[in-house]
Amino acid sequence: MSVHPQFAEALALYAMGTLDDPQDLAALQAHLSRCGDCRRELEALRADMALLALSAVGPQPPARSRERLLGAVAAEPRMERVTQKPFVVGRLRPRWLSITPIAVMLMLAVFSLLLWRDLRNTRRTLRHTHAQLEQTLDELKRTNAELAEATMVRDLLHAPDAWPLTLVSKKTPPQPQIKTVYSKQQGALLLMASNLTPLPENKIYQLWLLPADGSAPMPAGWFKPDGKGNGMMFHKMSAGVIAKGFAVTIEPAGGSQTPTMPIVMEPAG
Amino acid sequence: MRVSGTQAPNHKDDAALIARIRAGDQSAMADLYDRYAGVVYGVALRVLASTTAAEDVVQEVFLQLWRNPQAFNSDRGRLAPWLAVIARNRAIDLLRKRPPEDDIDVMPISTGVNLEDEASQRLVVDKVRGVLVELPQDQRKALEMAFFEGMTHTEIASKTGEPLGTVKTRIRTGLLALRKVLA
Repeated sequence: MSVHPQFAEALALYAMGTLDDPQDLAALQAHLSRCGDCRRELEALRADMALLALSAVGPQPPARSRERLLGAVAAEPRMERVTQKPFVVGRLRPRWLSITPIAVMLMLAVFSLLLWRDLRNTRRTLRHTHAQLEQTLDELKRTNAELAEATMVRDLLHAPDAWPLTLVSKKTPPQPQIKTVYSKQQGALLLMASNLTPLPENKIYQLWLLPADGSAPMPAGWFKPDGKGNGMMFHKMSAGVIAKGFAVTIEPAGGSQTPTMPIVMEPAG
Repeated sequence: MRVSGTQAPNHKDDAALIARIRAGDQSAMADLYDRYAGVVYGVALRVLASTTAAEDVVQEVFLQLWRNPQAFNSDRGRLAPWLAVIARNRAIDLLRKRPPEDDIDVMPISTGVNLEDEASQRLVVDKVRGVLVELPQDQRKALEMAFFEGMTHTEIASKTGEPLGTVKTRIRTGLLALRKVLA
């Protein structure tokens, strides 16, 4: 057995539990954890200690000591140990070391709890942020749609061939009125209505494009005015259709493919 | 040395005894006491110089073995030297007024010395006592102060006026002297 000489004397003190220098103790314990030869020397030193201890054997304990022990054994329920105490290489083990694993476990438990709470809060924040993001995206889509429609309205109003036309009721006041702006190149039409007669729930006003070639009227969108008889509609259709006029009929909700007579609004004059 | 009534236990006896204790056999504790109470009591009395305190050490050491028989591994040593060292450590704790440990140490002790029968044990004890007598007085004193009084080398140096290094060397060479003679 080859013992590292720098630890030889400390090893004997350690075996006896009398190595009191904390630095020497820490250095020796670290060394023992990786040196089999010194661990075996430690066992041999304990055997030497045992011989020294056995030199004191001789006196016998009084008889009452036996009865006392057996009484204590009988009175004490046996607690089976399922795990063995970890390997201990020396005696000078500070008592605080025995509570260190418990303290470490408690700290880990607290740390885990804090982590779990942080994770839960982070998830909650993430869900909230995700909901806000979806809401923002929806708003952005709506804004883009409105902007696109506004752009088309502006383009229509500024189109060189924009044809403003006012349709009026055949009857006298209150004078219902519908104004349309149509561009055949863009195939776009804007309608603005006012003072229209309120309709039943299942009816709508439908605009018809009257082609210049005399073919059948084409559906040009439908709308339902508000409580005051006002309404607005933007409608896209096939480009290039030359219109000679527009007309409005009352149709079932959802619109029709052919106009239902009578015509309630038509170009003025 | 008396460690049993008529015949000292051998290695197989130790293993069987510990197996019975592990199984919860209370009569095994009676056998344990009959075999080894003298070892534990003798060492404790040598350290504490009090019969009452030595009896307390006997109770404590044996009860802790009853509670945790796994602390002793019969594959790695014999009960007699193990109990002797455990008893010494408990007695030193009491002497130094250190709070007792909650549990018994798992402490392998390898010895090649023959302790299989009472005659061999008596021979060993006589040899050890002979070695101690032959040691230089300063060395024997340092060894006994460290072992039977639990004094640190610093305390021994302070009390004897010897240099720290000298005290360390004396303690170690004293232990090795026992091993050399009994090898």
